[in-house]
Amino acid sequence: MNRSPLLPSTLMLTPLIGITDTLMNALGLWLLFILVITAFSLSMALLRPRVLPSTHLLAGVLLAATWTSCAELVTQIWSLPWHQHLGIYAGLIALQCVVLEHAGFFHRARVERLQLGALFGGLLAGVGLLRELIGNGTLGRHLSWLAGAGQTDWQGWLLTADGGLRLATLAPGGFILLGLLLAAWQAWQRPQPSH
Amino acid sequence: MSRATSIAMLVLLAGLGIGLTWLVHNSSAPRIAAEQRLIDSRNLLDLLTPDSYDNQPLEQPLALENMTLENSTLLTGYRASKSGQTVAVLLRTQALGYAGTLELLIAIDASGRLIGVKTLKQSETPGLGARIADWPNIWLQVFSGKSRTDPADAGWALKKDQGQFDQIAGATITSRAVINATHDALRYFDEHRQALLGSPSHE
Repeated sequence: MNRSPLLPSTLMLTPLIGITDTLMNALGLWLLFILVITAFSLSMALLRPRVLPSTHLLAGVLLAATWTSCAELVTQIWSLPWHQHLGIYAGLIALQCVVLEHAGFFHRARVERLQLGALFGGLLAGVGLLRELIGNGTLGRHLSWLAGAGQTDWQGWLLTADGGLRLATLAPGGFILLGLLLAAWQAWQRPQPSH
Repeated sequence: MSRATSIAMLVLLAGLGIGLTWLVHNSSAPRIAAEQRLIDSRNLLDLLTPDSYDNQPLEQPLALENMTLENSTLLTGYRASKSGQTVAVLLRTQALGYAGTLELLIAIDASGRLIGVKTLKQSETPGLGARIADWPNIWLQVFSGKSRTDPADAGWALKKDQGQFDQIAGATITSRAVINATHDALRYFDEHRQALLGSPSHE
């Protein structure tokens, strides 16, 4: 069984570019992701001893689909504007669950799983923050949508009056920003040459 | 953990999953629909001040005739009234912009003055024509208070077309489309004033 470590990482990249155009979107998706992954791992742990190993994939698909559908309906009740901004990324969580299960994520130690979840959240929040600052000039736009339906829309702390570089709120800008961050990380990691 | 129990478990799981999803969907559908209606009405009705009307304009769309105008097409109309007297008429029109169709909401008060114009849908160039979609909109506010007679019919054009209105920089076609659609709506209101305002008893 080919357990490539790249596939889960690739699936994490898609929301990292797609949903991080505002901080609210990024945080919201991360919360949803944590909830669905937790529900999925608990129910999968109950189910794994009771079905044949060859049917684990099918069971995983059924569970992921159920939990993700219920989570999406709950977000619609909780805050309809937020759900409309989530687009397709809420449904992508189901695929992430199945792929993580297939890659053996849920057999790792609990500490490792928590670390990866926190890392994912940190990355999402960081990129979302940067893209919102550079692209919109605001901080925390629409954050009130996460608090529930019927809240008045909060435009966030306005830092630049003119908006920002629009490119940063689009997907290509996200890629460029991620590339720059990666380059900065690697430059920081490089050992200093000794003269 | 034989094959049969495995399959039975999966079938049971599928049934439970579908049942749970269906249950959640059914119990949440009315609330979601109500919330969607609230968002729509808040979006469409924020041209009018909230205490200038006391009915539900979006619940009763008006029956319009001759909806194809010179430069635009009327889609629906709504009437806002207070204590039975019509305060404003909201006309929803579709016009051809630079890159696609524009959908505008034009609010006209009972005396034929424009209350405001709002963009509902547009697919214009981002940063240029798409600036008509910002809300509140500095350029669209120029139209508030204008009417069929102020400016006269010849004045309802861009300054470069011997009219009175400035265009949005870099978006001449979009600006022209909005001006023409607004002028069409004012002309339509004039021609169908009785039908749009409703009961003649308020004269």
